[in-house]
Amino acid sequence: MSDPRLNGGIRYAQDVELPGAWQAAFVRSPHAHARVLSVDASALPSGTVALLPEDVAGLGRYGCQLKDQAVLASTARFAGDIVAAVAAPTRREAQAAAQAIEVAYEELPAVLDPLAAVAEGAPLLHPDSGSSAEDAASIGVRPLAGTNVCHRFRLLQGDVEAGFAASAVVVEETFRVAGAQHAPMEPHASAARWLPDGRLELHTGTQTPFNLRADLAGALGIEEERIRVVAPPMGGSFGSKTFTRLEALVACLARKAGRPVKAVLDRAEEWLTLNRHPAVVRVRIGAGLDGALVAKQLDCWVDTGAYADCGPGVATKLGYSGIGPYRIPHVRVDSLAVYTNLPPNGAFRGYGATQSVWASERTMDLLAERLGMSPLELRRRNLLRDGDRFATGEVMHDVHFEECLQAAADAVDYEQDPRGKGLCVLLKGMQTPSRAAIAVERTPVGYLIRCASCEMGQGVRESIRLMGAELLGCEPGQIEVPDPDSDSAPYDTRTTSSRSTHMMGRALREAVADLHSGDGEQGHGEVQNEGGLDPDTGQGVASTHWHQAAAAAHVLVDEETGEVSVEHLHAAVYAGRVVDRLGAELQNEGSMIMGLGTALMEQVEHADGQVTGTNLSDYNVPSIGDLPGRLTHELIESEGAEAHGLGESALPPVPAAIGNALASLGFQLTELPMTAERVLDAAQHGSGVR
Amino acid sequence: MTVELLLNGRRLELEAEPAETLLEALRREGVTSVRPTCGIGVCGACTVLLDGEPVSGCLVFVARAAGREVTTVEGLPADDPVPPAFAEARAFQCGYCTPGMVLTASSLLREQPHPSDDEIAAALGGNLCRCGCYVKIADAVRRAAAA
Repeated sequence: MSDPRLNGGIRYAQDVELPGAWQAAFVRSPHAHARVLSVDASALPSGTVALLPEDVAGLGRYGCQLKDQAVLASTARFAGDIVAAVAAPTRREAQAAAQAIEVAYEELPAVLDPLAAVAEGAPLLHPDSGSSAEDAASIGVRPLAGTNVCHRFRLLQGDVEAGFAASAVVVEETFRVAGAQHAPMEPHASAARWLPDGRLELHTGTQTPFNLRADLAGALGIEEERIRVVAPPMGGSFGSKTFTRLEALVACLARKAGRPVKAVLDRAEEWLTLNRHPAVVRVRIGAGLDGALVAKQLDCWVDTGAYADCGPGVATKLGYSGIGPYRIPHVRVDSLAVYTNLPPNGAFRGYGATQSVWASERTMDLLAERLGMSPLELRRRNLLRDGDRFATGEVMHDVHFEECLQAAADAVDYEQDPRGKGLCVLLKGMQTPSRAAIAVERTPVGYLIRCASCEMGQGVRESIRLMGAELLGCEPGQIEVPDPDSDSAPYDTRTTSSRSTHMMGRALREAVADLHSGDGEQGHGEVQNEGGLDPDTGQGVASTHWHQAAAAAHVLVDEETGEVSVEHLHAAVYAGRVVDRLGAELQNEGSMIMGLGTALMEQVEHADGQVTGTNLSDYNVPSIGDLPGRLTHELIESEGAEAHGLGESALPPVPAAIGNALASLGFQLTELPMTAERVLDAAQHGSGVR
Repeated sequence: MTVELLLNGRRLELEAEPAETLLEALRREGVTSVRPTCGIGVCGACTVLLDGEPVSGCLVFVARAAGREVTTVEGLPADDPVPPAFAEARAFQCGYCTPGMVLTASSLLREQPHPSDDEIAAALGGNLCRCGCYVKIADAVRRAAAA
């Protein structure tokens, strides 16, 4: 078998071996919030090296959107925050050495819920860094000084108060979505070595090599060009291996130890590294008796944990995604990214859409019930069409929401009999603005294509080979796509947001044209997509094109146990133009299954400020036995359309489709996951839905 | 301590600590197709065949494998229908869980040449795939059964 994924030959970040490398272990705070008073390494075994506060005292802060993180925490802001680190010849020795380090703490009051964190008198997590606008790494971040709000996104369109006053029916409800853990099968793995010329070389599982390089340059006080980031393929990531995670630590350990250092996390440590943002979303929606939407207000509290990471971006995306693909004259969104003393939350497949779409699309069904209207009909009446303006002011083009919705409804025979069935439509954006560049070189056997798109199972290398083959007139097998290397790959914003097939496809077109217009030996192409939103008004261009999908679910409920059985789950995803059919199918199937996990099974739990159940037995992710009776999907294409990313689209609509199916049976749920206990509770107590 | 076993048909002498697992020992030998993942034997990414039976390498002390046959994905016979069926169905994305899936499926088909969908799900329930390839994995197993 020639495919290295099948014959066991593939090398992940976890498998990188740098000669002479030692292994790392971390000393983590047991307290949710505590000042580090002293770190005593006097009992450290000989033949090991410790990274202590004095070793990193002069280093800068880092963070992809707010620079609120330090290499070692001098104030621990979550139970698990790293306060010291150790390197030793083996992992076992490093772990034993870490145990020998004594840390004295002064405990501080902790806040563990985003609403509590914005309440009067809440302890401030970042009194001197995160709340300062000067620390904002990007001009679009809006921290609120003197609070735990590290970003506030607002969108204002029309006059919502007037709109609600003019509405015949107004529905309001509050929804909650628990945190989730990405649980990539391969844990986080990073290795660092310093070269004789003083350059730093990193081999790390990352989706964001250039962001990482920039962050480290700032933290370590060296020029970006003095840092090389090599990104081997990852055994899954789903957003967890983004921005700076272990890289600053292994770099500093390697410098102190005078030898390469590698870190591979234990499974339990994954829950202490990055999770998905829990959120509370309050929706208020007003409509006329004919079902025309008039006004919508969203208030969102997005729990970003101890450090902002990309919480501001997630809060923004969550905010506008919750408006939904609808024509609504009056809209107000207020979305807050809030610090809590829990592990940091960051990028997770769906990037905020899952949380707000749950709230928004469940509310549509509540509204339909109040109006005495079919949920399908209510949506059809209001869906955006080509030429309509979205609430951001941008004009919609290449719009296929109705087609996706109809396809999903048809798949479960919704119009024939809606009992036990639920629908959901998704509007999701692609990272805007962004930049992608790619380089093509002729080789004796074909071509070499260099770009910074990172492989995590989504099949980006295969897509690049297929697109390259088509443009260059060769076989895909003749094209080599090496691991991203910041020394030789041209700049790319990052491998997130389901943007790579689309952006690299366009850049490749430019590069091949460049190659053909030159000597035929090499070509370079670069493209941008311009736009962005004003964080105070929400106006501008959220996305240069839209990710569009719909899901339908048909469920049965065991009224004794509350167990939900999904008989049929269908997703209709707009692809524009499919590049790699099998790859696209896998993205739909994988997204749907992950959505199922969010809908029914997954929640990051904590008690007394400690994350609990940090293992794959207590935290259940879907296995083959959890598949719905039927899982089907379709890829919708359109003549002449550009390739639309679909690495995420079939995930966010799944929970609301299932939730709406349960609602049709009288089980009104507002909280994810829809565990058996919550379903039983909804049956007995009506779950408080107004 | 020295543990002697057969790895993919080749006699191997391993120097190991008593508390070491078969997974750790194999990784030290450079076998990267078995992967440390959950540490508690629920995910299947460290699956090996021990005398033909799928086991989690992280749950087997290396001493227990003494004198026995250990098979990893590299050691499956060339005519095993499972790997080509996985290739044809494209039953993988990142590939990390794939060796474990292939070994378990291969063992299933030797035991039950024509498994029902329920039997496939029961056999593979201990192999997690976070990329969510189960639909195509089940398809691949059916293809291999039909081959």
